[in-house]
Amino acid sequence: MIDVFQILNYFFGIFSSDMMDIPLIAPIVDYLMQIPLLNILVALILWKPFFAVVIMPGLVVLTLYLLYIVWYERKLTARVQWRVGPLEVARPIRGAIQALADGIRYFFQEAIVHREAHRPYYIQLPILAFIPVLLPILFIPAGSAVGIYTPYSIQLIVTFIALIPITIVAIGWASNSRFAYIGSVREAFMYFAYEVPFIIAVISMVFLYGSGDAYVAVEKQSAIPGALLNPIAFIVYIIAMLMATSRLPFEIPEADQEIAFGPFVEYSGILFGLVMVLAYEKLYIMTLLFTILFLGGWSGIYCPLLGDLNGPLWLFIKSIVVISILVIVRSIYARYRLDQALRIGWTSMLTLSIIALIIGGAVGVWLS
Amino acid sequence: MIRLEKVKTDPVETLKRHAEAIGEAVRQAIKPDRITVEYPRERRKYPECFRGFIVFDKEKCISCFRCAQICPANAIQMEYFENAYPGIDYAKCIFCHFCVDSCPTGALNTSKVHDVAFKAMEEMRLSTKQIAKLPEIVREEIQTVEYYVDRNTWKLVRKKELDSLEVPPKPVKVKERKASCIEPESCIGCRLCANVCPQNAIKVERLKATEEGGTGYILKVQTEQCTGCGLCVRQCPMQILRLEEVGE
Repeated sequence: MIDVFQILNYFFGIFSSDMMDIPLIAPIVDYLMQIPLLNILVALILWKPFFAVVIMPGLVVLTLYLLYIVWYERKLTARVQWRVGPLEVARPIRGAIQALADGIRYFFQEAIVHREAHRPYYIQLPILAFIPVLLPILFIPAGSAVGIYTPYSIQLIVTFIALIPITIVAIGWASNSRFAYIGSVREAFMYFAYEVPFIIAVISMVFLYGSGDAYVAVEKQSAIPGALLNPIAFIVYIIAMLMATSRLPFEIPEADQEIAFGPFVEYSGILFGLVMVLAYEKLYIMTLLFTILFLGGWSGIYCPLLGDLNGPLWLFIKSIVVISILVIVRSIYARYRLDQALRIGWTSMLTLSIIALIIGGAVGVWLS
Repeated sequence: MIRLEKVKTDPVETLKRHAEAIGEAVRQAIKPDRITVEYPRERRKYPECFRGFIVFDKEKCISCFRCAQICPANAIQMEYFENAYPGIDYAKCIFCHFCVDSCPTGALNTSKVHDVAFKAMEEMRLSTKQIAKLPEIVREEIQTVEYYVDRNTWKLVRKKELDSLEVPPKPVKVKERKASCIEPESCIGCRLCANVCPQNAIKVERLKATEEGGTGYILKVQTEQCTGCGLCVRQCPMQILRLEEVGE
């Protein structure tokens, strides 16, 4: 028994040494910390690495974001197109829990595995796809809360983002149907078209800040945000983000009207729920990186009541605002053809990104 | 050979159009121009000419059968009690409202009710008593929506007060018509017209045969009694009776 208490005390020591300091909830935390066994749980939740990865800007907030963005996108598109959008689920709040209702329905729906599918891969890949989607959260710092601190965080995030399309192509292959095949080939084409300018744009910002450390990037943006320091990279990043997350002008791999959700056409039930949110999660991760690189990251008006929560909160608010503005693109532009999108990717965007690289180097010399 | 050339675009014009599209989308996102009416919860304020449930006024009816004759869907059957009155089969009715328009006395009137539910096909055959008043419907709406749409304005106005579904009777469009004989010399004196006339407005008098070749009968239509129902016109075997418009 003593050993167990020693182990618990050891963990409690680790957790309580690096806790989020939030004056707003400090009385409650102080009270809970006096209760044995419960205090270790509270210390774990408020432990900075755990808080960053699981609470904010990690999994809990990611779930809330998913519930919000699916409803918000449908509602906004509906408004622009003179429709009403989801409404009948929770009418007083204008159908705001539609995504939750859909999620619950997916959960209890039969997940059909058709005869032609490569069964093990078909079932595994939607779950495996979450590894590259969720791993970047470990390295995205939000103020003082960070999962794993590393001076190469920006490069690591980009690496994991670059891994996501591979799982999508594999999903299309495992589905083994013609729409899924066309979709995954399109995804592969688009992957090369946006990934090169995207990585060059990020490298130009790394040049500009002289480091791949997110803390350095945010610190150097204390006066001027990165969007003004390198506007070309800003534009390239936005377009690459639209391409990477299959948003409408470049919704080529998933084109609903042509190939019926592309690589994910065969999925149903909870597996469909998992693959459907992949693009939204990718959008979230890319927007967090976007905020850190171009919009000053977690810096904002400091509220003393929130203490350490300021950083994650500002990062989250900025990301949500960016995403909310981005989704309106869906109702403005029509879809490009594959060849048009590839031409944009390999000519204008590549040129712009190389110009951005030069600007990044020049401004980086001036900043340092 | 037709050569396709690349369409030349002006970059300034392109940017302007992009800005226009984005501005329009943002404007619609903030204040959409949508004209959706969330129907069971709110009801559009229908115009007076709305073609809905047909209401029958027994006092005005002159049993002229014109509604039954004009109905293109054959939905109106006349029922006989006291006099002949129409009953409407809503399984057949196509809501053309020819009957309302053709009614010479305005006994049939429209209403703004369009959402009556029937449990069976047989129930849709409404008798005269059932169409004499508005049907009972459950009104779920809490507000009324009014459309203001013309060349310049485009808006919906939502008001709290509920719209009355009854429509006040309108002046009759049908001109008053009276029966008259257009070819008295062809009359054969069969008296069918006088027998069928519900008002006993036609009198047949026997005359001596004249040298011009008349048959010796003359019809006298008493115009103040004639309601213009046209039954005599349909009955006349020689087809010499017409309804002629009188007055304004």
